[in-house]
Amino acid sequence: MIRAPLTKALSLGSSTSPIHKIAAAAFRTTAVTAQIPAKAPEKIEVFVDDIPVHVEPGTTILQAAAVAGVEIPRFCYHERLAVAGNCRMCLVEIEKSPKLAAACAMPVMKGWRIKTNSEKTRQAREGVMEFLLMNHPLDCPICDQGGECDLQDQAMAFGSDRSRFTDINHSGKRAVEDKDIGPLVKTIMTRCIHCTRCIRFASEIAGVDDLGTTGRGNDMQIGTYVEKLFLSEMSGNVIDLCPVGALTNKPFSFAARPWETRKISSIDVLDAVGSNIIVSTRTNEVLRILPRENEEINEEWLADKSRFACDGLKRQRLVAPMVRIKGELTPVEWEGALIEVGQKVRAANGAVAGVAGSLADVESMVALKDLLNRVGSEAVCTEQSFPSEGSGADLRSNYLFNRNIQSLETADVALLIGTNPRYEAPLINTRLRKAYVHNELEVASIGPKIDLSYRHNNLGDDSNLITQICNGTHPFAAKLKEAKNPAIIVGSDLLARPDGAGILANLQNFAKGFKSTSALNVLQRNASQAGALDIGYQAGVEEAIKSKPKVLFLLNADEAKVTRDQLPKDCYIVYVGHHGDEGAQIADAVLPGVAYTEKTATYVNTEGRAQQTLAAVSPPGLARDDWKIFRAISEIVGAPLPYDSLEEIRDRLDDIAPHLIRHGHLEANSFQTVAPQLSAAPSISSGKVSVQQLSLKDYFMTDPISRASPTMAKCIQAAKKEGEKKAASASC
Amino acid sequence: MAKYLGLDKVGKLFQIIQQSGGLRAAYKKLYRFDELKIGSLVGTDKYGNKYFENPYYFYGRNRWVEYAHHQNMDYDGSQIPAEWFGWMHYKTDLPPIRDGARVQHKWMASHSENLSGTKEQYMPYTTTKPKYEAWDPKKK
Repeated sequence: MIRAPLTKALSLGSSTSPIHKIAAAAFRTTAVTAQIPAKAPEKIEVFVDDIPVHVEPGTTILQAAAVAGVEIPRFCYHERLAVAGNCRMCLVEIEKSPKLAAACAMPVMKGWRIKTNSEKTRQAREGVMEFLLMNHPLDCPICDQGGECDLQDQAMAFGSDRSRFTDINHSGKRAVEDKDIGPLVKTIMTRCIHCTRCIRFASEIAGVDDLGTTGRGNDMQIGTYVEKLFLSEMSGNVIDLCPVGALTNKPFSFAARPWETRKISSIDVLDAVGSNIIVSTRTNEVLRILPRENEEINEEWLADKSRFACDGLKRQRLVAPMVRIKGELTPVEWEGALIEVGQKVRAANGAVAGVAGSLADVESMVALKDLLNRVGSEAVCTEQSFPSEGSGADLRSNYLFNRNIQSLETADVALLIGTNPRYEAPLINTRLRKAYVHNELEVASIGPKIDLSYRHNNLGDDSNLITQICNGTHPFAAKLKEAKNPAIIVGSDLLARPDGAGILANLQNFAKGFKSTSALNVLQRNASQAGALDIGYQAGVEEAIKSKPKVLFLLNADEAKVTRDQLPKDCYIVYVGHHGDEGAQIADAVLPGVAYTEKTATYVNTEGRAQQTLAAVSPPGLARDDWKIFRAISEIVGAPLPYDSLEEIRDRLDDIAPHLIRHGHLEANSFQTVAPQLSAAPSISSGKVSVQQLSLKDYFMTDPISRASPTMAKCIQAAKKEGEKKAASASC
Repeated sequence: MAKYLGLDKVGKLFQIIQQSGGLRAAYKKLYRFDELKIGSLVGTDKYGNKYFENPYYFYGRNRWVEYAHHQNMDYDGSQIPAEWFGWMHYKTDLPPIRDGARVQHKWMASHSENLSGTKEQYMPYTTTKPKYEAWDPKKK
C-alpha cells in the first residue's frame, strides 16, 4: 500500500487560487519544495510514461508522476518528512540518461521522458526488493504489520516471483537485538529496512532527537544510541510511519488482523483539538485507534493519549443505573432509577442545576439545558471556568482559537501565555513547530520554563509581564505589532483565574493594533467547552453552587470542581456519565451514559469546528445515550422534551446554532474587532502564571478515560523513571 | 352377542377402574398419563415407579410405567433407572427383579434423572474475562 494519496499531490500546482497555493506550499514542506520561490515561475513540461504534465520547477519525479496519476513505489519517501532517498525503491528510468534516478529526490528537467514501467525500471525494483528481502525475516504470519505492510504489498507487486536466497545454512540472515523504547511502541528490529522514517519523524515533527542510526552498511541499526525510552507525546505515529513491522503498537500486539476489524471514522475527544480518528473494532470491542487524515486539523498525526487511552474505555465503566440505598450505591433497574430522579426533580420545584464536564457532547448538553429550563432553572454551567465580565462568552471569538489550526503554519511571531500546547494540544504544538522549522516562527512564552520541542524565548512567569506586553513597554510587544501573521495563544486555565477577564481585556485591546484580526487565540483543554459555551452554558461551577440546588446534575463532570460541602445538605446529586470517577463517587444516583466511541454525537473543537463522532461499538450493559436519559427524565417530570430521535435533536441544535450540525465546516469569526469595546476592566493581579501540565508525566492522565487506562498508567511510570534517570545522571 | 353389542368393552372399563382402585383413582391416573390400561404389575423400582405388562396390547404398548405418585405431573422418561430401561425397551424380557445374573456393586452410582429445565440443571459459565470491567463503588 502506497500511503500518499494522489489527490494531495494533484493539488500541488494544479490549482490557481491563492489560498490554496499558500496551503499547498505550507504543508508540502520537503527540502525540494521549500526552495520554490514565492513568485510563480514558468511551468515545465515533462512526460511520465508518455503522459505530458506541466509542473513547477523543482518538483521531483515522484511528485510529477503523481500529477500524471502514476504511483511510484517507495519505502523511505514520505511527503510530510524530509527526503532521504536511501531505500532506492523509487528508481525510474529517464530516457537518454545512462543511470536510473531516485524519483523521490530528483527534480525534473524540461522535456524529460520518465519511464516508470520500463523493463529496466522493473528490473531495478526487483533487485531492490531482493536485497531488502535478503535480510528481512519471513515471519509475516506472526507479524503484527501483516496485512498493512508496505513491504508485503510491494513484494507482491514489484518483487521477483522466486527466491534466489540459499545462504540460510551459512551465515544466515542479519539479526538485530530488539530495543525497549517504551510502553507504547514495540520494536522487532530484525524487520527494519532502514528507511529512517521514524528518525526523521522524531527529529522533524516531534522535535525529539532520540532516534538515530549506528553502524554502516549491513551493520546499520536504528536505535536510541544509549538505552533509553522514546518518550514523546507523539511517539505512536512512528507505528503508522514504519513501512514494515519493525515498530508496532505494543498494547495492540497480537490482538487482531487489520482485515478482520471494522473501521469507523470518528473524532477524538480527549483534548480540544478534535483530531480525526478511525476506531478499529472487532467483536464489539474497541481494539485500536488510528489517525484519519484531515489537513485542517491533525494532518495525519495523532497524539499518544488519543491513540492509546482506548483501553480505558473498557475499565471502570458504569454499566447499570445505581441509586444510593442505605449509604451504598446499589445497581437498580432503569425504571426505578428514573422514577427516583424524576420525583426528586419534581420535588425540587425549580431548584435544579446542571454541570457539564470535559467529555460531554453537544446533544446531551442541549437536552440537559432544555430539561432544566422546562422545570424552571437557568443554572447550567461547565466545569471549566471562563470570565463572564465584559462580553465574556457572549462573543464566540472570545473563547475560540480564532486563527484556525492550519493557518498557524504561516504565523511568524507567536506568544504563548499560561499554556503548554505540547501537552494541552500536541497537534497544535506540531503546527507551531512546523512554522518554527519552515517559516522561522519566533516563539515567546509567559509561564513556567517548559520544553516545547522547539526553541522559544521564555519571558518569565510573572503576571505583570502580560501588562507590560499589552501596554507596549516590553520589547516583545513591538515584534508582535510588526509581525505579518502574529499569534497570541492564551491557555484556558489562565483565563479561569479570578482576574481572567482583565487578562482577556488587556490582550484584546493589545491585539486591536495587529495586522491580523484573528491574532488572539484561546486554547481550550476540553472537547466540550467550546460547544457548551456555543449553546449558552455559563462557564464555571459558581453559578450552580450559588443557586443552592436541591438536585444537581453532573454530566461527565469528573474534575471534582463541585464538592459535597459546597452544596446544601439535602442536595440530591445525579451523575450522568460513563466512568466511575470523581463525579460518580459523590452522586446519589448514577445514570450510565456512553463514551465517545459508543455514541453518534457532536463535539466542537477549540477552533469552533463542529464535528461528529460515530458509534463504533454498542454501549456496555444498560448504558444509554446521554441525551436519551434526559429525555426519559423529562417524561417523568411531566415536561417532555420535543425530540425522540437523533435527527430531531439535531433539528433542535439547528434552531440554537446552525453551525453545530454543519459537521467539519469551520465558521469564520467576525467579532474580534468589537470585543475590545465590550471588554471588562483591564486589571491584572500580580502573581505567577502557572501551567498545569509541565512535563510528559502530567500529559497522560487528564480525564476519566485516560485515568482508567492501564497503558496510560504504564506511560506515567516510564516517564517518571526516565525523569529520575535523567536527574541522577545530571547530579553525578 | 355381548361382543357385538360392545358390552365386553364396558366390562373391561369396569375391570380397569377396579384395578386402578376406584373411580377417583382411575380419574387421577387418566389425568396423569392420558390413558387407562389394565395389566399385571411386573415390578417396582426403588424410586416407586411401577412397571406393568399386558400382552393384550400390541407390541410397543404392552409394557408401560406408572411413575411414582410424588412425581405428580413432573415425570419424564429419564426417571426410569438403567436396569428397567432395558426391559422397557424390549432389550430383555427378564425384568431386573427376576434377573439373578445382574451385577451389584457397592460403588455403582444410583440413577440420576435429566435435570434440564429445572433449578438443578447444569449451567455452563464463561471462563473468559468480561469485555467491560464495571465500576465498583465500594472499591476505592
